[in-house]
Amino acid sequence: MTVRTIELREPVMARNNEIAETVRARLAAAGVPALNFVSSPGSGKTLLLERTLAALGDELRMAVVTGDVQTQNDADRLARHTTRLVQAVVTGGACHLDAKQVDTALEAIDLAATDLLFVENVGNLVCPASWDLGEDAKVVLFSVTEGEDKPLKYPKVFRQARYAVLTKTDLLPYVPFNVEQALGFAREVNPDLQFFRTSALTGEGLDEWFNFLRQLARRPASV
Amino acid sequence: MHEMSVAMEVCRLAEERLSPAELPQLITVGLDVGDDSGLEPDNLLFCLEALLAAPPFRNARPDLTRCPGDVLRVTYLELDDDRPDD
Ligand SMILES: Nc1nc2c(ncn2[C@@H]2O[C@H](COP(=O)(O)OP(=O)(O)OP(=O)(O)O)[C@@H](O)[C@H]2O)c(=O)[nH]1
Ligand SMILES: [Mg+2]
Repeated sequence: MTVRTIELREPVMARNNEIAETVRARLAAAGVPALNFVSSPGSGKTLLLERTLAALGDELRMAVVTGDVQTQNDADRLARHTTRLVQAVVTGGACHLDAKQVDTALEAIDLAATDLLFVENVGNLVCPASWDLGEDAKVVLFSVTEGEDKPLKYPKVFRQARYAVLTKTDLLPYVPFNVEQALGFAREVNPDLQFFRTSALTGEGLDEWFNFLRQLARRPASV
Repeated sequence: MHEMSVAMEVCRLAEERLSPAELPQLITVGLDVGDDSGLEPDNLLFCLEALLAAPPFRNARPDLTRCPGDVLRVTYLELDDDRPDD
């Protein structure tokens, strides 16, 4: 047998990262800041986006790409709050969105008429961390019902995120959850994280979140 | 959990590198897998074994090397030029 070896040093994620860079360039050229929402299933990504679309819809032209393993439920929920396009990506089993899917979804979105792009990733705190989608920043959400230690258990995604949203604060009276400890753990993993605390139910903390988005849309370069 | 996606990308890279005639001659795919790559090596191995056993490959084997950091790369492709066509 004649064995021949081809030496390689080929990063496996190279192609995804290349596509992500083209997405990033396209968004930058159009001046559209893009946020990639990641969290475990059910932390409140869709409900926060629903509230956001409803509250800022008259001020900002927002587009959403939402990924789910199955169903278009989230896209349907979001579409109720906006006349603009909500692009649904059904990953058919995959536990994350990839850059190619976002690139394809952008084909249907008029970026010239968009101020802000949201990408709702598949609910999962592990896999989305490995796929750059071309976003400007990741927003990691975690709810008060998930326990304080999520940042320590899933450090990769907390390290990559620029913003962290502690969700469902209306439930604090009913669950043992130490907010300061949770934020402390998150800071331990990523000292640069900027925090928001929200309740999509009572509206607590949403004004600060909306103001942040207003600023972001106005100054896309400073994400 | 995304080991299957990664395994598929590894196979795509191999297919890109090799000619159609070389694909069935592939016997080993070398990979460096970092401890912080977010991948479970046994699971990745399982996925790669399944994919590399099926056409256009013919029972190629993955060779995983654990290393520090978050590296994830294909390091070598080993081919047997004399492998009969059946
Ligand atoms: N009490 C309370 N419930 C909330 C809040 N935000 C979301 N929920 C509820 O939590 C559940 C999950 O919310 P979603 O917005 O669907 O969460 P998600 O992160 O989009 O879920 P996946 O897309 O499936 O990962 C729903 O029943 C929401 O009504 C909140 O601020 N307070
Ligand atoms: Mg959702």
